[in-house]
Amino acid sequence: MNNMKSIKSLIVTLMLALLISIPMSLRAETSDIEGRWILSLQDDQRLLVGLLEIEKTANDWQAFLEGGPVEINIQKDHIEIVADSRDVRGFVFNRRMTGKIKNNQMNGSYEQEGAAAQKENPGTWSAVREKNEDSGLTLTSSATAGDISGIWTATQELDFRKYTMSLTQSGKDWLEQYLPYYDQPDVRCTSIGLPALATYSFPFEIISSDDRYTFLYEYQAKVRRIWMKKESPSEFMPPSRMGFSVGSWVNGELVIKTSLLDKTIRDFRGELISEDATIEERYTLSADDQTLTAIIIVDDPENYERQPIRRRQWKRNANTEIFPYTCDPDTFYLPMYEDGEFQMYIDRTPFRF
Amino acid sequence: MFRLIKLLIALGCLISDISIAHHSFTAEFTAERTIVLQGQVEEVWFRNPHVRYILKVQNSEGVTENWDLRGSPVVWLARKGWTKDSIKVGDIITAEGYPGHSNRKMLSIIRVTLPDGSILIDRAPE
Repeated sequence: MNNMKSIKSLIVTLMLALLISIPMSLRAETSDIEGRWILSLQDDQRLLVGLLEIEKTANDWQAFLEGGPVEINIQKDHIEIVADSRDVRGFVFNRRMTGKIKNNQMNGSYEQEGAAAQKENPGTWSAVREKNEDSGLTLTSSATAGDISGIWTATQELDFRKYTMSLTQSGKDWLEQYLPYYDQPDVRCTSIGLPALATYSFPFEIISSDDRYTFLYEYQAKVRRIWMKKESPSEFMPPSRMGFSVGSWVNGELVIKTSLLDKTIRDFRGELISEDATIEERYTLSADDQTLTAIIIVDDPENYERQPIRRRQWKRNANTEIFPYTCDPDTFYLPMYEDGEFQMYIDRTPFRF
Repeated sequence: MFRLIKLLIALGCLISDISIAHHSFTAEFTAERTIVLQGQVEEVWFRNPHVRYILKVQNSEGVTENWDLRGSPVVWLARKGWTKDSIKVGDIITAEGYPGHSNRKMLSIIRVTLPDGSILIDRAPE
């Protein structure tokens, strides 16, 4: 009888030990997961790079890619991340990444889910700890100011085009009443401005002068001045969607800080950029001067809980030129009129800017 | 004719290409399927922000419908040699693309086959 009691007691003790030890072992493994990672995703056509932030909540995990929320599931050394994105056409889809965590590294495979015009074959992904001041850009940069003058053609590399961002209540309230397409500035030939303009796939030209860089964007024929020798705008300069930009070369990067912005939307989803937003862009020229890469970070605490990040890459292209761009909003207004939607559009005037 | 349209729609489902958008196509078109239309060009709007063609199409019941075809901006198409003269009023063309949501008679163009058999592709760089 005593033996039976001893056995029962031993079993209970072992079970209790097991119950305690499993979460502890999990905690021991997962405590290494929190923090900032540089996530790289490779398919047969291109490499994407993004900032992955993983945090522990009271009962679970939460994660963010390029400032926007992603689904995350961690079981021991297995990790699964689902990140939404949009393609060049604007169709929204997911990338599902599954893999292992080992020795402070993550790696695995990924596949595209959902309908997208831009099809991706399954590929691989990996993540390493973000180093200090590491923007995730892998190009070798020159130590001093590079010659970025010329015409640049966008590639489809680097940019995750993360679709949803982490919004504040104010940002959510705005998005709730936003009507895609009808409220977007571009469709009625009004400039969308920054940051979107710097991320679109149209070519742009950089002209270098003594005191400034001039960016000529083909899309909507927009001009932008990056001031290198002054720090503030003229007294009466009004806000605009291109804002006021000052630039400086820092460790081989052209760092551009933009303020004095006018209200606009961030991307196709319609998230708001406020007048108080600032934008930091860091442009890096490759050692052979043929590739230009940028990371574009928006700071707008009124609307975003985390800073939205975009990345772009361009190739120097001497064989093209910036084409003229004239815009006729009739292609937007007339179909709306013919479809009987014009009164709805007029009623929504307070929601546009 | 109806069989032809069904065949073209089926073929269209196998085709996927990229054009460029600067606003949310998801608001207007579905990526779930592609369709193919054959008809006569009624109007040509070779302008930014979007090229637009009105195509007169006869449906399976013999009723004529006007479809609103949308393409990339002029600058994008022009760079590939697709000009305002590439498709003219009166041309009989075959257009493949993504249809509008809620059965709206709209098409986001992927490619167009011209009367002489040549093909125009509305495609952004990879």
